[in-house]
Amino acid sequence: MNKQDDLNSLLAAATCALLGSTIANTAAAAEESSSSWSLDSSLLYYGESDNRVQDVSAAIAAKRDFGDERLLGLSLTADTLTGASASGAIALDGPQTFTSPSGRAVYSTPAGEVPLDDTFKDTRFALNANWSQPLARLYNVSAGFGFSTEYDYQHIGANLGLSRDFNKRNTTVSTGFAWSEDTIDPVGGAPIPLSRMLDVGDNSNKLGSDTKSVLDFLLGLTQVIDRDTVLRVNYSYSHSSGYLNDPYKILSVVDPSTGDTIARIPASGLDGPTGIYLFENRPDTRVKQSIYGELKHAFGAHVLNVSYRFMTDDWGIDSNTAEVRLRWPLGDASYIEPQLRYYMQSEADFYRASLVNGEPLPQYASADFRLGQFNAVTLGVKFGRRTASGNEWNTRLEFYQQSGNVPSEQIIGNQAAREQFPDLRAVILQFGYSFKL
Amino acid sequence: MMKQILLLLASVSIAGCAHVGVQPWERDVLARPEMSLDANPLDAAIDDHIYFSKEASSGGRGFGGGGCGCN
Repeated sequence: MNKQDDLNSLLAAATCALLGSTIANTAAAAEESSSSWSLDSSLLYYGESDNRVQDVSAAIAAKRDFGDERLLGLSLTADTLTGASASGAIALDGPQTFTSPSGRAVYSTPAGEVPLDDTFKDTRFALNANWSQPLARLYNVSAGFGFSTEYDYQHIGANLGLSRDFNKRNTTVSTGFAWSEDTIDPVGGAPIPLSRMLDVGDNSNKLGSDTKSVLDFLLGLTQVIDRDTVLRVNYSYSHSSGYLNDPYKILSVVDPSTGDTIARIPASGLDGPTGIYLFENRPDTRVKQSIYGELKHAFGAHVLNVSYRFMTDDWGIDSNTAEVRLRWPLGDASYIEPQLRYYMQSEADFYRASLVNGEPLPQYASADFRLGQFNAVTLGVKFGRRTASGNEWNTRLEFYQQSGNVPSEQIIGNQAAREQFPDLRAVILQFGYSFKL
Repeated sequence: MMKQILLLLASVSIAGCAHVGVQPWERDVLARPEMSLDANPLDAAIDDHIYFSKEASSGGRGFGGGGCGCN
């Protein structure tokens, strides 16, 4: 009898101790989460070969849990961009001169080289804020706001999301809307589409600023497959309207048989373009749709992440993107994560390497390589280490390469012997540090 | 015999469907930070921004890209 009493009181004491410690732990955790910020910071260098675009970017993202899964997220990014960017004009056997976007100076390209506009320089600041919280037992709502500014571009955007859990929270269905309104104020003014590049000082083909609106819709499904696997599938619809041109991109007007740019002589006493170049023109609406799938699977301590996206738009561009990452632990505190990404896109219906002199002008035309047909590979590795205090530092090194082609039916005469679609090679180096305050 | 096999297959597939997902106490692996689908939001934002600037596609994972004069 005594033994039974002892056992009972022992069990009661153990239960109280367990409950007590759980309550204490929960209280401590709640206190910790409600009074602390978790921060992610990063410093990024992005550098293209051949003195093309160089970018140094610093970003900080802060998250605070106010308890009961009420989360505030804030992020701030600053970018500095310099370097040269392909203008869209074709290479020639002789040197070429162009009027810079400001209309106040000229820049030149040596013989045989694909023309790059080296007047490219910008600083960008971006701020994003996001709030999410449960709405009822199985619902979660989120709302966000974003703003960014650079010399020739301002962006303001907002988004709203709602999700609901099903099936013991193994299934989550989410939906979201985003809206943005951007103002483009190009250096020297937005050129009249398909107008000619003019001599220095003549800005009669330039207009003021313009605007662009984007509406996005997303429908997502997240499904826990088993103890080690989770799957996400998203459908996205995006509608852009307004000024969708790149105000700095041009097309060469070429001879129908030689394929050489039609020569032009600047007015006497003035600097100006040595060939006929027209500013591009894209449609003023674009509808993009994509399906995105992502699978995450743990093999013991290793984590494999595989994703795939198919995108199609009404400009005639289809793209496929596949990405694989494998997080491989090294001891208790470190990991290494090799990454491989493959991307391929078809060209836009209105992609033109050049325009033929004497032929009627198409309604839309762009020689921007980013609207051309190309494949891209990113190969990278990330290394991370957790410190004794629970913070983490990491570093990431990636190589990115694009290789593209101009459709063979667009290559005219002498163009075949010259470089048409130069490869783009870039190195990406990132340092990150995550910590709590 | 065929009917029995079909019945067996049907019951196995129904059982299979019922087993998609885990019980609340089986979330130990899924609760690890690196198993979160948004484990590295800053990396993801940086990647989205780079690819948005250099390629004709964007988004998919979430509301990607945008807010940049680079495209």
